[in-house]
Amino acid sequence: MKTEIKKKLSIELMSGRNTRLIFSGLLLLVLIFFILDILFGSVSIKASDVIRAIFTSTGSNFETIVLRFRLPKAVTALTVGVALSLSGLQMQTVFRNPMAGPYVLGISSGASLGVAFVILGFSSHISPDSINGLGNWILVAASWVGAGAVMMLIMVISSRVKDIMTILILGIMLSSGISAIVIIMQYFSNETMLKAYVLWTMGSLGNLTSGQLNVLLISVSAGVILSLFSSKMLNALLLGENYAGSIGLNVRFARIVIFICTSILAGSVTAFCGPIGFIGIAVPHIARILFKTSDHKILIPGTLLIGGTVMLMSDIISQLPGSENVLPVNAITSLIGIPVVIWVILRNRKYSGPF
Amino acid sequence: MKRHSKEILSLESLIIGYVSGKNENALLPPLTACANSGELIAVIGRNGIGKSTLLRTLTGLQPPLGGEIFYNARNIRDYSRMELAQKVGYISTEIVKVSNMRVYDLVALGRFPHTNWIGKIEPNDHEIILDALKKTSMESFGRKFVSELSDGERQKSMIARILAQDTDIMIMDEPTAFLDVAGKYDILHLMHLLSRNSDKTIIFSTHDLQMAISQSDKIWLMLDNKLIEGAPEDLMMAGAFDHLFDSSSVLFNSDDGTFSFRSDARGAIYIEGEGNKRRWTEKAVNRAGFTVAKEKTFPYITLPSESNLCWQLSGNTSLQEFSSVYELILYLSNESVRLI
Repeated sequence: MKTEIKKKLSIELMSGRNTRLIFSGLLLLVLIFFILDILFGSVSIKASDVIRAIFTSTGSNFETIVLRFRLPKAVTALTVGVALSLSGLQMQTVFRNPMAGPYVLGISSGASLGVAFVILGFSSHISPDSINGLGNWILVAASWVGAGAVMMLIMVISSRVKDIMTILILGIMLSSGISAIVIIMQYFSNETMLKAYVLWTMGSLGNLTSGQLNVLLISVSAGVILSLFSSKMLNALLLGENYAGSIGLNVRFARIVIFICTSILAGSVTAFCGPIGFIGIAVPHIARILFKTSDHKILIPGTLLIGGTVMLMSDIISQLPGSENVLPVNAITSLIGIPVVIWVILRNRKYSGPF
Repeated sequence: MKRHSKEILSLESLIIGYVSGKNENALLPPLTACANSGELIAVIGRNGIGKSTLLRTLTGLQPPLGGEIFYNARNIRDYSRMELAQKVGYISTEIVKVSNMRVYDLVALGRFPHTNWIGKIEPNDHEIILDALKKTSMESFGRKFVSELSDGERQKSMIARILAQDTDIMIMDEPTAFLDVAGKYDILHLMHLLSRNSDKTIIFSTHDLQMAISQSDKIWLMLDNKLIEGAPEDLMMAGAFDHLFDSSSVLFNSDDGTFSFRSDARGAIYIEGEGNKRRWTEKAVNRAGFTVAKEKTFPYITLPSESNLCWQLSGNTSLQEFSSVYELILYLSNESVRLI
């Protein structure tokens, strides 16, 4: 019995003994930022009023603001952060490219093309805010298909071109191409549709109906569960296709599972919150720096927690606590994410291998 | 220690190659060969003949275009990917560059076909991983990052990974390609030990013919029209290696397994004396483009002795002295020197 415990300790020693500590810290951070996100907003409400609003039903204005707006918004921020970061982590491993992410490689653009088809093409008389029930699922499914299509395209390209920067440039080309298509579609659509679409592209965490939030939560949960199942495959893929195959991974199957997972995660978020940049690419790197590991059993939960934290933080900053103005959250995530991305580029200049 | 060896792998009329579009490009005519357990087998052949393709096909990473591969008398087509991964391990020429991956984690990936759905390392797996690190003398490197290793250390941890995979057969594509001489022999020694003590069958490709001849139990010699297999000595006696260099100007010396450049002999020199000095002087004279005469005629070289510390070159009418082989060769290499 004693030797058994000793062995377990020895395993933990090998995989880093700080891991548990870091996880506890991150969990605490998520909690703190979640609470802060509810406490701060464009209307200043005292902490005691917020607590009262959550736990008692007084029917006050504060209660409406906290329960109808702030709480769903915080939940959305958390979900978006988790989903985007996780899809970024998976893409970086599958493409063996530290610069991969749903935004830079054009996956988000693909998803927005799907959304554009639905908003500009089919729903000629209804705006997305009034899409409910089945409509939400159509929107999200179109987004998945768009994201998946771009994923496939990038995959085909990256099997021929190994250079990271080249793929990055191709991703930008792809995004531009898709934007061009969307612009043409906008040209042919009427004013209401156009307005609905432009509002959507601005990206917002606060405009989701409860029906949309439900769809988002269900989709992202499915994605997270699927990603937990993919952690062993992702570890094998770190070594590249050949080695992964030689240790028993069915590479094609693994690819399909991870593609589906990534498309669901990135697509769902894009469908309801618009394209949100640089979270997906930056957060996995923060997780790697923090945990100093390449093991996805640790990186997946780590990325999940950091992603949630960073997104909640971005949301708090975007509200400019104490002021009545609200900034687009997209701008904040870019400002947080870009320095990390630049750091990774500078560090990887020496070689153009994976990571 | 070594069990009676039994056949573990056999290739029957195996056709390797690539499929591009509708065309099947077979690289070689059908290959037939076999391997016994615990054998160290070197795959030799010129660049581009299909060594890597053969090794990839044996690992199951690439389907054969025709013919059969049998592991333990069971067709490779009947193995699932997981089953095959418990039978054959593989190291390619691709260098693994993953940041933040510890050696322990790399070796732990070898447990992939043995662990549960999430890849949890159980105490039993842990023990196997530590054992693999120990066998490759990498036990103190477990916590190090793969990106911090030297080429030789990285290759050793890759071998440790296959050991953790616990396969009977290890397939390595040029395992010593990017190593220095010391590193090369270190890895080769390790491969030798594993085949002897752990009964692993190791099939590796190499361009180092001398190393292959001196260390391997068997050689698969890939030529343009066939694959010849046999002990290095058998192949040498049959003159099989001569075919390797048909088109180039390298000459393989089947007496001692060394190489020389094919060049028109500029004449013969007799060397007087015996021993170590004679052997090295002979080598140098050959390099300068002369053959060594069997009978004493002019010109001849007298080796340094206790009474005379110089190499003396005696011609019909002349006598020259050199204080080192280098100077002797410098003189002989001069194109205008005529010694007849």
